[in-house]
Amino acid sequence: MHEEALLRDLHRKVLEVAAAQAATRVRRISLWVGALAHLTEEQLRARWVETFAGTLAEGAQLDIEHSLDPEDPRADKIVLTKMDIDLRHVEGSS
Amino acid sequence: MTERTIDVDYVARVEGEGACHVTIRDGAVDDVQLRIFEPPRFFEALLRGRRYDEAPDITARICGICPVAYQMSACHAVERSLGLTLDGPLRDLRRLLYCGEWIESHALHVYLLHLPDFLGYPDAMALAKERPAAVRRGLELKKAGNAILRTLGGREIHPINVRVGGFYRVPTLEEAATLRPVVEGALALAEETFLFASTLDFPKIEFDYEFVALTHPDEYPMNEGTVTSSTGLQLPAERFEEAFEEVQVPYSNALQVVRKGRGSYLTGPLARYALNRERLTPRARALATEAGLPDVVRNPYQAIVVRSLEMVFACEEALRILDDYRPPEVPYQTPPHPPAEGSWAAITEAPRGMLFHRYRLDAHGTIQEARIVAPTTQNQKRIEDDLRTVVARSLDQDDRHLADACEKAIRNHDPCISCATHFLDLTVDRGER
Repeated sequence: MHEEALLRDLHRKVLEVAAAQAATRVRRISLWVGALAHLTEEQLRARWVETFAGTLAEGAQLDIEHSLDPEDPRADKIVLTKMDIDLRHVEGSS
Repeated sequence: MTERTIDVDYVARVEGEGACHVTIRDGAVDDVQLRIFEPPRFFEALLRGRRYDEAPDITARICGICPVAYQMSACHAVERSLGLTLDGPLRDLRRLLYCGEWIESHALHVYLLHLPDFLGYPDAMALAKERPAAVRRGLELKKAGNAILRTLGGREIHPINVRVGGFYRVPTLEEAATLRPVVEGALALAEETFLFASTLDFPKIEFDYEFVALTHPDEYPMNEGTVTSSTGLQLPAERFEEAFEEVQVPYSNALQVVRKGRGSYLTGPLARYALNRERLTPRARALATEAGLPDVVRNPYQAIVVRSLEMVFACEEALRILDDYRPPEVPYQTPPHPPAEGSWAAITEAPRGMLFHRYRLDAHGTIQEARIVAPTTQNQKRIEDDLRTVVARSLDQDDRHLADACEKAIRNHDPCISCATHFLDLTVDRGER
């Protein structure tokens, strides 16, 4: 029931990380979804495209690892684990 | 172009559900809009086509803090269609279950959401670090409320043992006896909480609230009563919609409820106390007198005191019910007739205030239409009115301090919005170029 707020928070964090890295594009976003997070993959994917429309993360691939372990200390959480981003190549950088 | 993988490991948070927009013109507050973004959840639509006896379990899922309120309002509404009125131990057990919910909900609000404001901490985590005993007291109280819910409801959150006509199973005498020392311990903690809360330093502010709550001739209201307003209105719960209406505002997903022809009003602990003080237990009344709590509290910040007093009352009431308890022969009453076609409504007193349910049933007992009016929506307009005054008194402060003042004013009233507004997104339009 809180998917709207969670997506807004993820949207904010993804763009914050992208900006901090001076990314030109976000290619892939990886989420870990706890067993007790009360949010299904279907719910997340249903709103994903419009959440990131018009941003650096538009069209980014969404990978979701859905945990089935209710004993996990983060079982009720959703974790943004990784992001694959494009960086502008700067002369002299490795 | 270089590609890189960033390890983020960030836990997403549910926050920012509330925002507040303030417009200031010529040094005065022009408008205050409390915006709630929580999207519609369509519970009323979900109930259409379901059997009348499914309503208590479905609506219990609306709130994790006050599921009992939803179950009780649903049961009472559909029981009217069955010509069923509970009495004896079953009626008492429902009241006991409600006591459990008041204790756990009030403990959460008082200790984890409201108290940090008065002691100068940003939140309960910070409070726990420096004053662990205070938070421990709150958690103990919450645990006692949860123990009642678990014993009667089968589990602490979203209980599953409530049914139309009573319960699926009632506690044994031994189970009731096990609860007694837990509630007795909670009563001592609740009294301590009340006396401590009474000594807090409150901003000097009072509002001319229209208080609306259930009133009952014999008891402090929980499951039954007449809708009563401090301005003189009295009407049966099933006629609530004659005097109150939901209105939609363009800036918020949440509906607002107003008294027709009058405007905002306040429901919840301050209203219940103002209209039912004489029906508190003698001990709770004596404590209120001892602490100098006025008969009508118009300072919203003092809601923490009234909430604490209601915890004292709920513990005492729970003890009375436990002491008198004799298990009924059957766990539920059988209705005298099948559900009658028509529109059936009820109101009970959730910890946050009046909770209205109405169901239109067809001749087979199938729900054709459902309407649920939660206390949160009823207080929304009143909270905006409070904020107008709070902002007007803080106009010389910067936006960060203004946001802080607004968050505190909101936390006076509601645990649900309070939770969301620990991160209130405040925008102030001061009309400056």
